[in-house]
Amino acid sequence: MTTTQNNAIRNINTHDNEDSFLKVSLVNQSVFIRKKKDCPLKNFPLSEINYKNLKLLNKFLSERGKIIPSRITNVELKKQRAIAKAIKQARKLALISPIKKDVNFN
Amino acid sequence: MSKHCLYETVFIARQDLAIDDIESLISKFSKIIKDSNGSISYEYWGLRTLSFPIKKNTRGHYVLLKIASSKDSVAELKRVMGYNEDVIRSITFAVEQHGKESSLAVNIKDPNSKKDKKDENLDLILSQIQFEA
Repeated sequence: MTTTQNNAIRNINTHDNEDSFLKVSLVNQSVFIRKKKDCPLKNFPLSEINYKNLKLLNKFLSERGKIIPSRITNVELKKQRAIAKAIKQARKLALISPIKKDVNFN
Repeated sequence: MSKHCLYETVFIARQDLAIDDIESLISKFSKIIKDSNGSISYEYWGLRTLSFPIKKNTRGHYVLLKIASSKDSVAELKRVMGYNEDVIRSITFAVEQHGKESSLAVNIKDPNSKKDKKDENLDLILSQIQFEA
């Protein structure tokens, strides 16, 4: 990347836009930049993430009962790992079903 | 004397047991820990529906034991639980600290009266979480 492009990106990153995608038009091309989102569990203590907190764990399961990846949840790495571990522990205790088969997909 | 560590054990007891049987199970398991100078407290989570059948049970009595004891007595506890036919599943975790009473806990004498223990700050954070499908 040239220095002019770098400068253009740096300028755009300083703006506070709500869109996750920003379109940057450079000389003869357009570049998409993905802005990093905030962690939704920013104010949620790590010690509260355990297999007993079913209200939390159910938020991180898909319709089928799979764990939603951090690519989609935007949760920071340490907490995402704790969530994945807690879900697996809760599945062993039959608190969460390991898979949901009776979901209607049209 | 060996070092005391913190453990949490959850066991699921058969669905057709009465509350008195559960209490005698708890006192039986507590005795093992107390005999080796450990400390133990418990939470009863009620008769919950299992998400999949375990040994032909569709429901089970959940009990959480909070243990501070040596590893030898916990190993003995696990061995005894394995032999006991009333216990259909048990798991032991090593933990760094025992948290507050969990939201799943109910009163063992009166299981139908649910305690309203809500942490409003944390619930607010949870209610805002939503992911695109």
